[in-house]
Amino acid sequence: MSRRFEKVLIANRGEIAVRVQRALRELDIASVAIYSEADREALHVRLADEAYCVGPPPSGSSYLQGERIVELASRIGVDAIHPGYGFLSENARFAERCEQAGIVFIGPSSRAISIMGSKIESRRLMREAGVPVVPGGIEPLADLEEARAASEEIGFPVMLKASAGGGGKGMRLVGSSADLEKAYRAATSEAQSSFGDASVYVEKYVERPRHVEIQVLGDQHGKVVSLGERECSLQRRHQKVVEEAPSPAVSADLRRRMGAAAVRAAEAVDYTSAGTVEFLVAAGGDSPAAGGDSRAGGAEFYFLEMNTRLQVEHPVTELVTGVDLVVAQIEIAQGERLDPGLEGLQPHGHAIEVRLYAEDPYHGFTPSPGRIRALRLPEGPGVRNDCGIEAGSEVTIHYDPMLAKLIVWGKDRPEALRRLRRALGELRVEGIRTTAPLYLGLLEDEDFLAGRLDIGMLDRKLAAGGLRRSPGEDEARRETVSIVGAALAHAKARRRAAQRAAGPLAARRRWRRAGRQESVRGEG
Amino acid sequence: MELRVRIGERTETVTVEPLGDERFVVHVGEQSLEVDARSIGGFDSLIVDGRQYELALSETARRPGASLLVVDDGRRTREIEVLEPLAYLAQEAGAGAAGAGVAVVRAYMPGRVVEVLAAEGTGVVAGQGVLVLEAMKMENEIQAESDGVVAKLFVETGQAVEGGDPLFEIVAAVAGAGVD
Repeated sequence: MSRRFEKVLIANRGEIAVRVQRALRELDIASVAIYSEADREALHVRLADEAYCVGPPPSGSSYLQGERIVELASRIGVDAIHPGYGFLSENARFAERCEQAGIVFIGPSSRAISIMGSKIESRRLMREAGVPVVPGGIEPLADLEEARAASEEIGFPVMLKASAGGGGKGMRLVGSSADLEKAYRAATSEAQSSFGDASVYVEKYVERPRHVEIQVLGDQHGKVVSLGERECSLQRRHQKVVEEAPSPAVSADLRRRMGAAAVRAAEAVDYTSAGTVEFLVAAGGDSPAAGGDSRAGGAEFYFLEMNTRLQVEHPVTELVTGVDLVVAQIEIAQGERLDPGLEGLQPHGHAIEVRLYAEDPYHGFTPSPGRIRALRLPEGPGVRNDCGIEAGSEVTIHYDPMLAKLIVWGKDRPEALRRLRRALGELRVEGIRTTAPLYLGLLEDEDFLAGRLDIGMLDRKLAAGGLRRSPGEDEARRETVSIVGAALAHAKARRRAAQRAAGPLAARRRWRRAGRQESVRGEG
Repeated sequence: MELRVRIGERTETVTVEPLGDERFVVHVGEQSLEVDARSIGGFDSLIVDGRQYELALSETARRPGASLLVVDDGRRTREIEVLEPLAYLAQEAGAGAAGAGVAVVRAYMPGRVVEVLAAEGTGVVAGQGVLVLEAMKMENEIQAESDGVVAKLFVETGQAVEGGDPLFEIVAAVAGAGVD
């Protein structure tokens, strides 16, 4: 029942929409972009073959309007919809609506999305499938008292998590009974505002674990393969920031065991398309588990959740396996069989991704929207940019602040680290602040360089004021040059303002102001 | 014009003398630098004494006669404030009148106040959250930058704010003043 697509709609924006367009182009499939009123000028719109406005700027009124998007897709004769990540990508109802409308949803079945989307149901199923899970109550908590009883039973510290959650929203670490009430209120209110569902559950907090995830691919003929792991321990408030493949802490043996567990997890829901099984790996990484193998009590890795979509960090897997995951998703959706050569694939070389956010890393990561006046992306050996912006792009406050991803490949981790430092030195963004300086600071951090990572590490180092790049021996001279640059920029802006004030336009403005002052009351 | 430029604890008097369209002599304190400065595709390329620097600037705030810039030279990022003489005097006078150690914290960007964590008159320590601002889908805790008292709250829960709007004022704790 293989069927070739001629036209595919991408129900997303930004860098991932551009990424999917590239795969479609290579497969000679026409791409359809959708955009909100705020994104008319965006890169993903101007690279598409067709583009349709789906609503006003807030994503709830545009990119999340599933019904409207399916209607549009039917009207313009689209064969399939690629949801990207975020937005509608893990919305089972949307996948179901596509299925009903005779449009292929490029992703797993709505049933797989809905089971894995429910943390409670997925954990129950994983236990049955012999995939180790973190100890904890998996039922939604009725109220604060129930939360207290459950937490005391598991023992503090515990983690409160939104039942419908993801991306760190609606999630709170609770160190002791005294902190529970405040955390419970915060988690439920954030869960309500982010997901429209206030329910939360509690689980044991595993101290200083790594976040390691396995990329899987499943076809429509019952075949599921693992493409190895990604190390995603560097997170800020549970949001991934830096990812790499392979993990510095995973041996070939652990990779094989985690891969097998991930395949079991995917098979339990008849998984098709690309998916990611996330695990917590207990501190100590690859040391033998204290109490037996991963299926016994002393598990060294625990199932966290399965993301039933393409991940932001998929490029690191692509670079070490040579598999184009988006092309694979499309081929699977067309009914093709997985390449048998994917079985038992070992990573080649080392890849690292850093996410470029429009945030100021040295002011509490406050968002930095605005116009990107100039942009230089790094190039050269081993460098890949997945980028949704260009010079002239406006970064608005309506969407996720992630603008681009810089991914480097090296024959081993040290070479990848050297390339990352070189590439970050070439990267230049004028007009807004980004998180790039943070990564230059991180590249001086001994723990990061040695691959000693855990999911709390970045937050701890940030709280301690670390991760600023150390001054070089030429610091005094560089500081003076920055002073000169700032003074010249100020003088130039002032000259321009003076010219505008003296120009014919200013004369008109003065007349207008005089008119306004007549009609309204005096203004300054 | 004599500009005052501040970077961290350092304040310098800076004057710019144009020599041509793209050439300047810039005096920074005691130093005089000959600078070839050009804007190329939006970046600022500076050649000073045969050394090449490319700067990427982003403006975080501008008031009449003053700008606050973040300058990235490809190695490090520095926050720099440029003040014209009148703005500098006004700032000095303001600080004098209000007493040193009064800091008004402003919204970095448009958003909405979702929660006030410390009421007016509350004593806070550096790093303690004063209110929560929701912007770009994330809740950001806005913290006190020094120990002190929340002297004034300019906003309330639910209020929408624009970038640059004052949020609260912290009066720094004075040793021996008995602030709890």
